[in-house]
Amino acid sequence: MFNYRLYWTFAKKSFLRSAVYRFDVWSRLGSNVIFLLMWGSIWTVLYAGREEAGGVSFQAMLTYIVVSQFLSGVNGAGTPLWEIQEKVRTGDISLELMRPFDVPLRYLFADFGSVFFYMITALMPLYIILFFFMDLSIPNDPLIWLAFLFAAFIGFLIRYCIEMAFGLLTFFLVETGGVEDIFYFAMSLLSGSVIPLWFFPGWLASFASYLPFQGIYYIPNAIFIGEIAGNQIFTSIGIQLFWVVVTYIFLRLVWKKASQKVVVQGG
Amino acid sequence: MAFMRYIDLYFKLVAAGIRAQLQYRFAFFMRIVGMLTSYAGTAITMWVMLYQFQELGTWNFYEMLFLFAIAVLSWGFCIILFFHFRSLDTYILNGTFDRFLVRPINPFFHFMAMKFDVASFGQFIFSIFIFIWVSAELQIHWTIANVLFLFAAVIGGVLIQGGLLVIISAFAFWTTKSEQFYWVVMYPARNLTNYPLVIYPKMVQWFMAFVVPFGFVNYFPASVILGKETPYFSENIGYFSPLVGIVFFIIAYYIWMLGLSRYKSTGS
Repeated sequence: MFNYRLYWTFAKKSFLRSAVYRFDVWSRLGSNVIFLLMWGSIWTVLYAGREEAGGVSFQAMLTYIVVSQFLSGVNGAGTPLWEIQEKVRTGDISLELMRPFDVPLRYLFADFGSVFFYMITALMPLYIILFFFMDLSIPNDPLIWLAFLFAAFIGFLIRYCIEMAFGLLTFFLVETGGVEDIFYFAMSLLSGSVIPLWFFPGWLASFASYLPFQGIYYIPNAIFIGEIAGNQIFTSIGIQLFWVVVTYIFLRLVWKKASQKVVVQGG
Repeated sequence: MAFMRYIDLYFKLVAAGIRAQLQYRFAFFMRIVGMLTSYAGTAITMWVMLYQFQELGTWNFYEMLFLFAIAVLSWGFCIILFFHFRSLDTYILNGTFDRFLVRPINPFFHFMAMKFDVASFGQFIFSIFIFIWVSAELQIHWTIANVLFLFAAVIGGVLIQGGLLVIISAFAFWTTKSEQFYWVVMYPARNLTNYPLVIYPKMVQWFMAFVVPFGFVNYFPASVILGKETPYFSENIGYFSPLVGIVFFIIAYYIWMLGLSRYKSTGS
């Protein structure tokens, strides 16, 4: 039975907790802006005054980057990976196993709370101002907005499942150093967060299209700027839904194995 | 000779630190693999980015790799000497910082010699490999003057980045926070300088040259060696890297000492 009120409480609590750590909010926003400046400048120089490249206008490309930075702000506001790993290493996670809730869901709802706080206090004001002052393309059709919001939300869930499953690998590996860096690299490049897949070399683009990472940034961004349009929107969201199911099953499997391991070791 | 005594002491403290780190060989090895992967990741991202566009402004892929490798090399030395400064806040909060104050040596020196992070082999392997590869591709003429200049520029880069780490750690004396400042200031600043500064708005370039002088870590020296134009700046500005490093580090040292005197007076 899914106890809706229990998990809702986690979301509320972490919303309130975020309000206490205001310095964190400002520092995160600061580095988000610096990375926006960096990628905005890079793409401005890459286009070098051209109106369009590879069939995509400069305005659309700049919008892609701004939306992508917004989404990475959203995706980065949850429980950080190292915090989960630290809980596993110190054994604190065993306390949570004893309690009457599902740990992966508990963290997901806690993330909803902190992400929502960060969105309304920092991200939304900043990005509304950016869209107001910068020459960016905004979809007119409310259905596009709806598709974008839905795709962004599914992307958030895919990212959560992958990252959480990855964090739980600490149960099996003492040192995750090297694997972790491969993971972060795949996450940033293959998700299309800074370079859209259409600028990839052909073989790499088709490689990326067989992986779940594209669902995190590439699909919502491309829907927003209209590179994915018409019926393609449905196929893309279908791909995302497929991956959210697969990554969720993967997370459940890892979680089951991990919690069994704790029981065997006696915590 | 106080100075000689300090050098001798530094190596003794450092040797103890290295022995401690080599206790965990697998973790040590994995950290090096991890660093190599993440630098290779940035290089691959640059390659994918330039696959269709060929050039970022006037910089091609190999020139950008060269720029990146200089930053990585000096960051490698910086990790060895200064990386642990960012966690000064933990020492202050736990009260373990006080042990640096009760010994008859300079606390700054003692804190610096406390750790010697040998895991930066990853940085050295990566940057040396890139230097060899890029030198062949770009046909860089390595004269003795060039090599000496690169060497001096790397020392400058170590002092600039180390200086910023020292300033960040000094914040902990006032605010009991330093690790967080590292992620707000140092991490984005290092990422910005992975790409040639010329791509940024004039204000940002100016800021990175004269306020947080990260331009002197790699962009200005690389421009001198590769013969690149540096709009808004004199073309010989790269030669000032070592000097900027020394001045910046001295300022950082005095800020740290100022913070320390404040820390003492609170008596916490």
